[in-house]
Amino acid sequence: MTGWKLKPARDLGLPPAERLRSHGREAGLVGTLLQGSWRRLVRLYMAAMHRLTVSGRENLPAPPFVIVANHASHLDALAVGAALRGPAARRAHALAAGDTFFTSHAMAAFAAYAINALPVWRRRTRPKDLVTLRARLEEDGLVFILFPEGTRSRDGSMAAFQPGLGAFVAGSAVPVVPCWLEGAHEAWPPQRRWPRPGRLHLHIGPPLTFADTPQDREGWTQVAQRCEAAVRALAPPPAS
Amino acid sequence: MSGWDIAFGHPVTRGLVAATLGILALAAAVIGALSATGRATPAFRRELWLRLGSWAVLLPLIMGPILLGREWVIGAVTLLGLACLREYDRATGLFREYALVAVVVLGVVLVNFAALDHWYGFFVALWPLTVTVIAIASIPLDRPSGYIQRTGLAIFGYMLFGAGLAHLGYMANEPGYRPLLLLLVLAVGLNDVAAFTSGKLIGGPKLLPATSPNKTISGALGALVCTTTVVAFVAGMIFEGTPMDSTWKLVLLGALVSIGGQAGDLMLSSIKRDIGIKDMGVLLPGHGGILDRFNSLLLVAPAAFHLIGYFNGWGLSAPTRLMTGGAG
Repeated sequence: MTGWKLKPARDLGLPPAERLRSHGREAGLVGTLLQGSWRRLVRLYMAAMHRLTVSGRENLPAPPFVIVANHASHLDALAVGAALRGPAARRAHALAAGDTFFTSHAMAAFAAYAINALPVWRRRTRPKDLVTLRARLEEDGLVFILFPEGTRSRDGSMAAFQPGLGAFVAGSAVPVVPCWLEGAHEAWPPQRRWPRPGRLHLHIGPPLTFADTPQDREGWTQVAQRCEAAVRALAPPPAS
Repeated sequence: MSGWDIAFGHPVTRGLVAATLGILALAAAVIGALSATGRATPAFRRELWLRLGSWAVLLPLIMGPILLGREWVIGAVTLLGLACLREYDRATGLFREYALVAVVVLGVVLVNFAALDHWYGFFVALWPLTVTVIAIASIPLDRPSGYIQRTGLAIFGYMLFGAGLAHLGYMANEPGYRPLLLLLVLAVGLNDVAAFTSGKLIGGPKLLPATSPNKTISGALGALVCTTTVVAFVAGMIFEGTPMDSTWKLVLLGALVSIGGQAGDLMLSSIKRDIGIKDMGVLLPGHGGILDRFNSLLLVAPAAFHLIGYFNGWGLSAPTRLMTGGAG
């Protein structure tokens, strides 16, 4: 037997409001039960309202990994999360825009306890935050759900990927799984207040790794470009 | 008899409540005087007000349930146990072991239910039973690495916040529990204050510098003398005419409260030092977490319970197995 390893919660000692927004937030028994119930509800909703189907599930590695997908609606993170099973589903964290999901306390509590989202602050993410997130991904064996376009597409077509994604995976063994979600723009475009029924299909592609990619600006750009190409390759050919 | 007469029927109850209010008022006056004369630095004054403010919220929360009745006491002890458990499991990392935390939570709830039901057999049986379930709970994970650590942490947590703390609630099964419970919760507070004050006044060598750098031997002895005297004196009035009513038993009870209280404090210091953290939480301004405030009660509750139980018994005249029925 080796010495005991006491590992306090990463968010220990934070006041409640800060804890909700902390990148070190770790759920206990109650949080896990709430998240589990929410996941079941979302799966039911996805099955009933959107007939969500998934292809390529065999491409999913064991955690940790990063999922990147096209971003057309608020349904995206829910649909991708609903496609995961087992430990990957429990450890999945959607990286969500802090200015949308973490401004009010009530919204932050919902984002933290239901969706298990971690905040990303557009244009003011500090290097320290990226280091924390990368460390958590590797050490805690998490799954990050990321939409590297940075915002929802207004017309359903995919924009270029932002390089920030590279910070998590360049020079690391953690794989990136490209996904294409079909039907989300039709079901809930940004212009609509509420979603409408409509089929969703998630294509999961084979994972990419960036162990040899340099951890610098250029490396990040390479990561973003390769991931973008892999996601685009999964998109069904336009109907002509 | 009116509710007021039930709550405040015993003269010791009235005396303790009055003394508490008096001390709070006195403390406010002293801090006010310090502020007015500018004798203390603003930071120190702020700290003092913060602590007093926390006490002004905490004391009604602690004393209220005791005055209100048996069910309230047991309910409050259950919530206190769960709150302490939460701080403990997040600080030690046990919170990542959901199955074990669930078993400990269940154990805490059940042992308090046994107290509420006034079913001593079940109350006692839950200690070995819960430990058994804790020992088994993480085996199906097929993850032997870290087994002793997580099982040990869970058993320790159940012992402190379940089996141990629940003795406080069980005491409420004694019809005349109010003055005694008030005395116990106030005495552990007094014990802390006495240790702090006599340590500051007398000074001298440190008690256990690696564990708790601010505690002195003079503080520990001062608290022992002060708390033992006060507890023995007040308990003498509570236990008049019962088998506990003898000087050496009362002094033993007082010493047990003082030593148990200080040991609980040092135990939490050891836990925090081992983990490498300063406070267990942030809930109580000026105190830290719930455990930082209630650590002293954890070891006192079972020790005082069994000393008094040995001579006087607990709730022998009260009906048993109120909810489960059965033979008792």
